[in-house]
Amino acid sequence: MTTRTEQSSPLPVPSEGHAAPAAATDALCKTYGSGDTRVQALKEVTVAFESGKFTAIMGPSGSGKSTLMHCLAGLDSADSGSIRVGGTDITALGDAQLTRLRRERVGFVFQAFNLVPTLTAEQNITLPIALGGGKVDTEWLDYIVASLGLAERLKHRPHELSGGQQQRVAVARALLTRPDVVFGDEPTGNLDSRSGAEVLALLRRSSQEMGQSIIMVTHDPVAASYADRVVLMNDGRLVGDLASPDTDSVLSALAGLGA
Amino acid sequence: MLTVALAEVKAHARRFVAVGIAVMVAVGFLTATLMVNASSEASLANTVGAGFRNADLVIAPGPDEPLEPAAAESAAAASAATGGVAQTYLQRQAYIAFGAAGTAGFGVLQNLSKDTALNPAELLRGSWPAAGEVAVDEATAKRLQLAEGATLRLAPAGGSVAAESLAAGRDLTVSGIIEPSNDPLTMGQPQFLAPDAILDGLSPAESPAAVLNIQLGLADGADAGTVRDAVGAAVSAAGLRGATVNTAAEHTKERVAGLTGGSDPITPVLLAFALVAIFVCGLVVANTFSVLVAQRTRDLALLRCIGADRKQIRRSVLVEALLVGTLSSVAGVVVAMALMAGLVGWLRQQPDTAFAALAIPPFAVPLGAGAGILMTVLAALAPARAATAVAPLAALRPFEEARAGNRKGRARLWIGLVLTAAGAVVLGLGAARASLLVALPGGLLSFIGLLMCASVFVPPLVSAAGAPARAFGVPGRLAAVNAVRNPGRTSATATALLIGVTLVAMMMTGAQTARTAFDSELATQYPVDVSIAGPAMDGTALDARDAAAAAEYDGVAAAGLVTPAGFAEVDGMRTGVYRLLPEQKRLLQDQTLVLDDESVLMAEGSGVATLTVTGSRGEKELTVVETGSMAFPPLVSAAVADEVGAPAAGSPDALPQLWLAVDRDLDAAALMQLRADLAAGLGVEEYQLSGAAIERAAFNQVIDVLLLVVTGLLAVAVLIALVGVANTLSLSVLERTRESALLRALGLTRRQLRGMLALEAVLVAGVAALIGIALGVLYGWLGAQSALGAFATVAPDVPWLQLGSVLAVAVIAGLLASVLPARRAARLSPVEGLATA
Ligand SMILES: Nc1ncnc2c1ncn2[C@@H]1O[C@H](COP(=O)(O)OP(=O)(O)O)[C@@H](O)[C@H]1O
Ligand SMILES: [Mg+2]
Repeated sequence: MTTRTEQSSPLPVPSEGHAAPAAATDALCKTYGSGDTRVQALKEVTVAFESGKFTAIMGPSGSGKSTLMHCLAGLDSADSGSIRVGGTDITALGDAQLTRLRRERVGFVFQAFNLVPTLTAEQNITLPIALGGGKVDTEWLDYIVASLGLAERLKHRPHELSGGQQQRVAVARALLTRPDVVFGDEPTGNLDSRSGAEVLALLRRSSQEMGQSIIMVTHDPVAASYADRVVLMNDGRLVGDLASPDTDSVLSALAGLGA
Repeated sequence: MLTVALAEVKAHARRFVAVGIAVMVAVGFLTATLMVNASSEASLANTVGAGFRNADLVIAPGPDEPLEPAAAESAAAASAATGGVAQTYLQRQAYIAFGAAGTAGFGVLQNLSKDTALNPAELLRGSWPAAGEVAVDEATAKRLQLAEGATLRLAPAGGSVAAESLAAGRDLTVSGIIEPSNDPLTMGQPQFLAPDAILDGLSPAESPAAVLNIQLGLADGADAGTVRDAVGAAVSAAGLRGATVNTAAEHTKERVAGLTGGSDPITPVLLAFALVAIFVCGLVVANTFSVLVAQRTRDLALLRCIGADRKQIRRSVLVEALLVGTLSSVAGVVVAMALMAGLVGWLRQQPDTAFAALAIPPFAVPLGAGAGILMTVLAALAPARAATAVAPLAALRPFEEARAGNRKGRARLWIGLVLTAAGAVVLGLGAARASLLVALPGGLLSFIGLLMCASVFVPPLVSAAGAPARAFGVPGRLAAVNAVRNPGRTSATATALLIGVTLVAMMMTGAQTARTAFDSELATQYPVDVSIAGPAMDGTALDARDAAAAAEYDGVAAAGLVTPAGFAEVDGMRTGVYRLLPEQKRLLQDQTLVLDDESVLMAEGSGVATLTVTGSRGEKELTVVETGSMAFPPLVSAAVADEVGAPAAGSPDALPQLWLAVDRDLDAAALMQLRADLAAGLGVEEYQLSGAAIERAAFNQVIDVLLLVVTGLLAVAVLIALVGVANTLSLSVLERTRESALLRALGLTRRQLRGMLALEAVLVAGVAALIGIALGVLYGWLGAQSALGAFATVAPDVPWLQLGSVLAVAVIAGLLASVLPARRAARLSPVEGLATA
């Protein structure tokens, strides 16, 4: 049984360039359904996310935030336009290559159901590396685990952890591979405000101290205020861009969308 | 609540497909079984009626009271005179010897009816025989290459060699070719039809041709019932006693009943296997419904929240079971009927079984479907009870992994343990005393007990087997964990498979052990592999040229002609004593036997210390050395034979024998072929070849056929269990959609996902098969010991190759079972998977 790495052509090497964005799209379009139920989720979205920065994507429900993130992360394919992750054009990659991309170059923190219930916290954290058959950088692991305050919880199963702890485990997992970019889809949506604040502070610290690029989808202005930059979306388009946002500026920008 | 149940079945029809298939197969098997007896009786009726196919009324002898020829003649005459009777045919039959073109044999000769309309066979070519003529059945005509106009010699069947009888026969001309009769009493034998005069001429006065029956044809417009009564009166008036007058249809029914003895040995056996299949199916159904209920915990809790009471919940689950059970049971009955119709249709196409007929007894349909529905509902009872235990609060709790609670199982475990222990003791006792009647209930009891305890030992074993899977990295580790994630589910799935595999392995080991026991027993029963007793069919004794010819056959290791050395008085009978040449000693089964010039080798239990051998020149008293064999002719050395002087050649009570040693690696089929070839080549009848190798081959063939049939029947249960494996896996995969999507998002490739699920299925199926094989070997050996221990020493003999292929089949089937669920899981994109709440 071959359950090891899939034999496929190697990932395209990122083209060398100065200050390549962590992720970028060019005229990205995505349509769901057909006929009456046709929904244009993304309408020619062109956006670049700087490397080493923590960016939040905001917008009303149904504006296409999740769709954009799924396309950027290689979880979903676009209809037209192009997507680059860490300088690699991933628009035309097949499933096997996208899978490797996700395993090696991208990290995820989802809103819920982030962890495999049958694995311990530690096994969950090292899962992407184990999937690729790689070796865990134990020093890095220890550093992340310590800085996320998970050292005491490594042998626990997900159901023995609180919601906040579970999300922190997910963050640790996302950081461990030093990915080009970490994606978060409402990573604090299921948490109470204190746990949420903890996780958000962690994400900001990873970006500031470790230079980790992070793209986070949220509809919470408080959450967005932790980011270096907020990108606003409405009805499948980019409609705004805030640098160094705070809660108030985000709120007023959102109010401008009529949301 | 009915609407809920209906909606559930409709919305999740796919989840019920596998269970439906399992029920369908089990019900189909059961229903087909119920149709076998009726169909074989109907087929038999077709053959039994062949001899009076054209008659309207049949006057037949009563049981144990053959028709007196003279009385039958007058009864026939009286019948002919009865109003409404148009034709009469007094059917008679004699056994005769025939010869044509250098071939001789025995067959049956029947008389021709004076009224052609009542002739008991169909004329295919030529004409009905007149004086000096005979009609031959097509099969025989083909074999003897006889056409119309050819000459055939018929003679009364005198001795045991057809060729010898022929001297007293007469030559007849073949007038026509008739269709071979399928009547069970004559089927397969050479059949001839000739006018009465010829039959009379060929049946000696001391054994006249037997009267089979008197057949009557009715005049146009005559009423069968009225004429039957009139003929009945006429027949008794004519003095024919014990006879019955029946219509042809009634007579057929009576004869079928007489032939089957009213009993039906096949159906109970088939029924036992069908019940095993139904039981296994019940396990699969129960498991499926437990999984479905577990998956619907939140829905059920919601129903409870909005006011559904426990009874309603239970009823809702049972209604689902009823629905699924009814649909698939009906489908099963239909499939069974279609299968049987197809089978019978195919048989009808075959020349040897053209008489096959399909009969569906009225009870088969409701019984088959009813059993399936009942089984499904019963199997759903426990899951339905589990559904009622769902607390309304569960709806409000966030989704959690269902933890398998094991509180209720405790009582079952204890009962199972006690049953296992008690059964094992009884089984051991049965084996020790070599009593199958004791061992059988013991084995059954212990097996049921083990099945009840399956949840104790199956999950740990699967877990242990999963340890090496860690070598496959994360997917392997996850597969090993997932395989025992729901221990109850895993044991139920494995148990269903384990039952079939245990029974198959038991049969295989039992057969192999019995074979070995029988082989070693046979080795001592017969002096040599094959011995051929003379004379040849042409009456000549076997000679050295025959020995040389036999040695040339492929598979014959050595051959020797053992000639008489003289005679001796054994048990008051004049018995031939044979000479064993030194180079012939290697032909003997028992190579430890020593033959010197002062002793004679004799069969076991001769009861004498010395034997006096008398030859043509003198006699000699020899010390008896008993061999282990029961069928050992007295053997003396060449020197002794020379001393007493060999008797004149051709003495009929001491004909030379041809002894053969055959190659050790010859299998049963090859041996049977060798036997046929040798018989044909040496011009002897097959029965004249006997010996350890022949007996062994015959026994092995019987065992092989039985094993094949039994394995085929058990395969149904195994198939159902494998459907269960696929079903459990696919339900578990559904349950783990989000988890699979997460793993995919994190970098698990499609192939890794498929491999993971395949490994999970292989673990469960493989461990179930291994446990089943281990149990089967144990049961098979103990069973063989119980059945045969009284006659032979039974050493366990494990058919590794067969058991290995059982394991391979289980593993491959496990792999296949994972294909569909894995494909579905792998097709799902991570985004979609994460979206399903
Ligand atoms: N799988 C899908 N099928 C059809 N329409 C979809 C699907 N996913 C999202 N959409 C539609 O695309 C639009 C954007 O969705 P999404 O990206 O999830 O928005 P957001 O995350 O901003 O709430 C919405 O109108 C949504 O209804
Ligand atoms: Mg969204």
